[in-house]
Formats: sequence, C-alpha cells, structure tokens
Amino acid sequence: MNIQKIGIVGAGTMGQSMAETIAGKGFEVVLLDKSEQELEAAKLGLEMSLDRRLTKWGITDAEKKSILSRIVLGTNLQLLHDCEVVIESVWESLDDKIDVLIAIEKEVGPEALIASNTATLSITEIAAKTEHPERIIGLHFHFPVERRELVEVVRGLKTSERTVESAFHFIEMLGKQAVQVFESPGFITTRLMLPLINEAVLIFAEGVASAYDIDKAMKSGYGFHIGPLEMADRFGLDTVVDMLEALFHETTDPRYRPAAYLRKLVRGGRLGTKVREGFFTYDEWGERA
Amino acid sequence: MNILVLNCGSSSLKYQLFRMPEEQVLIRGGIEKIGSEDALHTYKTDGQDGQDQTTSQILDHREALQQVIEVVTHRSGVLQSVEEIAAVGHRVVHGGEQFALSSLLTDEVKRAIQDNVELAPLHNPANLQGIEAMEAVLPGVPQAAVFDTAFHQSMPPEHYLYPIPYVLYKRHKVRRYGFHGTSHRYVSSRVPYLVHRDLMNLKVISCHIGNGASVAAIQNGRSTDTSMGMTPLEGVMMGTRSGDIDPSLQEYISRKEGLAAAEFSSMLNKHSGLYGISGLSGDMRKITEARAKGSARSALAFDMYEYRIRKYIGAYVAAMNGVDVLLFTAGVGENSPLLRRKICDNLTYLGLELDPQANDQGKGERIISLPTSRVTVCVIPTNEELMIARDTQVLVSGLESWEK
Repeated sequence: MNIQKIGIVGAGTMGQSMAETIAGKGFEVVLLDKSEQELEAAKLGLEMSLDRRLTKWGITDAEKKSILSRIVLGTNLQLLHDCEVVIESVWESLDDKIDVLIAIEKEVGPEALIASNTATLSITEIAAKTEHPERIIGLHFHFPVERRELVEVVRGLKTSERTVESAFHFIEMLGKQAVQVFESPGFITTRLMLPLINEAVLIFAEGVASAYDIDKAMKSGYGFHIGPLEMADRFGLDTVVDMLEALFHETTDPRYRPAAYLRKLVRGGRLGTKVREGFFTYDEWGERA
Repeated sequence: MNILVLNCGSSSLKYQLFRMPEEQVLIRGGIEKIGSEDALHTYKTDGQDGQDQTTSQILDHREALQQVIEVVTHRSGVLQSVEEIAAVGHRVVHGGEQFALSSLLTDEVKRAIQDNVELAPLHNPANLQGIEAMEAVLPGVPQAAVFDTAFHQSMPPEHYLYPIPYVLYKRHKVRRYGFHGTSHRYVSSRVPYLVHRDLMNLKVISCHIGNGASVAAIQNGRSTDTSMGMTPLEGVMMGTRSGDIDPSLQEYISRKEGLAAAEFSSMLNKHSGLYGISGLSGDMRKITEARAKGSARSALAFDMYEYRIRKYIGAYVAAMNGVDVLLFTAGVGENSPLLRRKICDNLTYLGLELDPQANDQGKGERIISLPTSRVTVCVIPTNEELMIARDTQVLVSGLESWEK
C-alpha cells in the first residue's frame, strides 16, 4: 500500500500530537474536529508544541514551517476521501467512537486502513456496527507521540490479517515500534500502568510517603523515566479516572476501582498538567515548577 | 559513450548526462518532492539559457527515473533513444570498509551497500532505492557505484581508529571513515596540471569547504587522514554542524536542558556551526556580509570557523611532516577570498606567501600563491559528477574488454 495522506479525527491533545509526528515524517495530514473553535485551539497547540521543540533544538525553523504546511485543519469529513489511513482520536466514549468510525467509513476508499486510538475500549465492539469490521484496527499511540516509540496494534475479533499487515507497515514507516495485542481491556500498557498509578495514589493518600518520594522511588529504584504520579498528571487525572472506571466496568475486577482521593482531586478541578496543578505543579510549558 | 550520473536522496534526485570521453555535459537536472502529487522536475541542456521545469505526480524513484529518461530521450532532444545511454553511475554515500574503489553494481555490491545502512541511515537506503529503480527502468544497462568514503580507505589504522575499547571496532565497525572522498580525489587529481609535479611526490592538504566541510591530508596521491569521522559531524566547524566537541557535552547539556538523544543530535547537526554562533545564518555569504556591517557575533562565528580549519591544516602539516600544496574547493572554499586570506595569513611560518591579487580577483582553477612561496596554494572547483562519470566509464570499458 502506498501511504501518503493520513486523516486524524479528533484534534485534541492526542490528535495534535499524532498529527505533528506523522507530518514530521513527511506525510500529508488532515486533522479534523467538530468546530472552528476546536480547530483554532488545535492550531495554537501545534504551534506551541513545535515552538517548544524549536527552543530545544529538536527541529529547525524550516522544519517547523514544513510540518505545519503538511497539516490541513478542517471540520468536513469529506476531506478524508483520499486518505490511505484514518485514525480516530475522539473522546473515550463508546458511542462517540462508533459514530465517528461509521462516518469515516462512508468517506474513505475501500482500501483505506481505519484505526481507533482507544486506550481502553473494545475494538471488536467499536467495529461491530461498521460495514467492514475486518478493516478496523486499534493503533494505541502514546503521548507525547514524538517522544514515545511504542504503538500497540490491537486486533479486534474480526480484524483481517491484511489490515494488521498494513498497520505494521504504516507504523514502520513512522519509525515507531509496534507490538501486536489481541484485544483485551487495557491492552498491555494501560492494564499495567493504571493499577500502578492507582496504588501510588493510595500510598500518597494513606500518608505513607510524599508524592515527590513516591516518584523518586520508582525513578531511582526501577529506572522509570517519570514517576507514576507525574504520569497521572500528564495523562490528566480525569482521564485516569475515566480509564480506570472503563476497566472496572468491563472486568468488574476491584483492582481497577479508582482511588477515592483521585476522584476528590478531579472534583476539585486539580486535573494535572493541563491545568498546571495535580500531584505536582507545572509551568505554562508543562514543565515541573 | 553517454553516461548518466545519479545522486538519489530520499525524496529528491540530481542527474547529469555526460558524453565521454569528451567529458561534455549534455543535460543536467533534478527532481524534488518525489512521492507527492506536485513533484518538481527542472533541467537544462548544454547551451540552453534558462531552464525548463515541470510539475507532476511522481510517486516513487522508479517513476522519477522514467521521467528523467523521457526528458533525456524525448522532451529535451538530447538523445534519440534510451539505447544511447551506455551506463549509469551512482553516488553512494557509505561504502563502509568493503569499498576502497568504485565498483560495478552486482547483487553482492548491493548487499554490501545494504549492510552499511546502519552507518548512513539517511543516505544509503535512498541510494539503493535509486539503484533498484534504475535497474527496473534501464534493464541490462551496466551501473556503477562511486562511494563518498572510498578514497579515505587508504588511511592507516592509527589514523582511522578512535581511542576507545578496540572491541567496539570489531563488533560494530566503529571507526573513522571520512566523507567528500570523490571531491578530494577529483581536486587532488587536478594538482599535477597546476603545479607540474607528479602527485606521487607531493604532500597535499585539501580543504573541501561547503555547507559541510572536511579537510584531507593526501600523501603520494592517497588519503592518509581526513577530518570527518564515522559520521560527517566530526572535524572542522561547518555551516550548521558543530564539528569536534568534547563528548561529555552530551551528558551535561542533555541533563541541564532535558534533551532527548535525537534533540541533542539535531542541535549539533542543524543548530550549531556558523548558525549556532551567529544566530543569523549557516551561509558563509551572509556571515561575511553581516561581519562587514559590524555584527560582532558574525565576526566571532567567522573567526572560529577560520581558526578551526587552520588548526586542522596545522595538524596535517605535522601528520605528513610538511606540505607542498594547500588547496581550497567547494562553495565557500572556491568563493570566499576573505576566508582563504585569513587562513593563509597565519601560515607564514610554513613559508607560505599568498598572492593577494590572484586570491581576490582570479576565477576558476588557479594558483593563488606567489612563485616564491614554499607552499603552493590553489583554488580548484570540484566536480564530483565528472569523477563518477570517469569511474563509470573505466569500469564499463573494463567490462566490455573482459567480455570480448
């Protein structure tokens, strides 16, 4: 398959991060969202992220311009008609994702790969109502996409071998590392990470150790790049609660029950990096203050 | 005999068609944005004033080369048919330790180029793509590979090894390879014509100073040392590349600035050199202009650039126990009389006497030192494409006589 143009539906933080990385690899990108207001925010977000990389010497001015020139923002799904790959990254809600995938399927050509970036939902269930569930696959990118090499390639019950091959080919073209996962709630990474975060929150809430020391222990003791509480802040604490609830709901396993303290922080609006305050505080660039 | 010379990048290619042995360029051109719907193809035939250009969909190297052949044989009217192309010569960046000479392309040679992909991950795959596409477009036409690294394969181990655990050389071929080999070989081959002495008895220091820059020590016609190393980042300060730095900077700066390895590498390759110091540009013309207008940082960038080249020259004088010819080539080397003068002004201890008039006002291939100078200084415009055409011609002629 000759892949040149990639569609991304959902221009939130994850959609922007994917768009930036994929355009950085030389692909044309169509980044869609529902309203002009969301697109404006996405445009600003992309600029800020690229500026940040520029100040860290990761890209040049010319590369920034050429990356932006390869990203077309829009609200019309028809823009997807000539994309060889379309990835949805709308809000983590089953109904929303199903609606979006059905709409994407109507626009793209018969050969196009259609992927969901879900972290917790069932690809089989998301794909069930589409006309060709065999070409639906999960591509779970990790944030920030530019810096995270891993992509979980998630096979639903009906995902065809051909779709899996195309997905692996695409991930290879992006220079990322793919692992194959047969559908299961939380795949590999989310299933391992969420209970770890939840347990870290419990350790903190019980007064066993400070947030700083909990993260320090995992960084210095186990070689973690960032500690579990900072990771929770970066995911967004509301997202962590949502994902835990989705896993809890799916499996009814108590190990996924969100810690009460986590809910309390979310109710109090301390959502993590995006509001500059969670377990730690952050500056406008998302750096630890 | 017509020989097509190709330089394939990942999304672009450049070509020249030579009539050999006359060494006449019949047409030269390039295609940019391969893999897109608006790929741009520009070309210019011998004697043509302006250049022609077309924009069209070109999805891969094979389509690009088909268009090149179409332009060469039809649109430009340079050739009547494809049969008139006798051979194709490819520039290949990394030949590793396998190639000290140019080589006809066989499956074995292609495998060797593939084996060296890890040493030149941006270039060798694109070079291979071009080779394979050309095989599909012109089946049966002999093709040759001319390697950027080949000329420096004559370096002895005490010059090409890094003083790090030897096992790393054994395991991963970590060593200095050097680049710009085809250019250094071409310009040094011109020296006897200028100085009327046999290259086999000369000690030459060749400064290829373009956007990338390297200095080579050439003794008896063979490269004995060069400033670029395992990658083109080592050596003198360049337009946007740092050249030599203390390796400990990586650990220190990455920790202080929170940089990933790729960011650090991008910093050294794209944000350093003239650009990094001046904050203005990596282009020597702009730096020279700004310096003349009083920009202190451009002046600093210029001085550092000049100093670091001069240090390498001094090192190679010591390495060869003397120097007979100092030559300058490539964009900056050929076109910056100021840089040449500043370098030579501080080499008078060698008995080097620059001829200011020849340096400032002359054009093209020439001697720019006084007859009394103990070191002959030359400017020699480089021509890597011609060198590739010559090598290809020799290899193909050899093939033909062997077949007879």
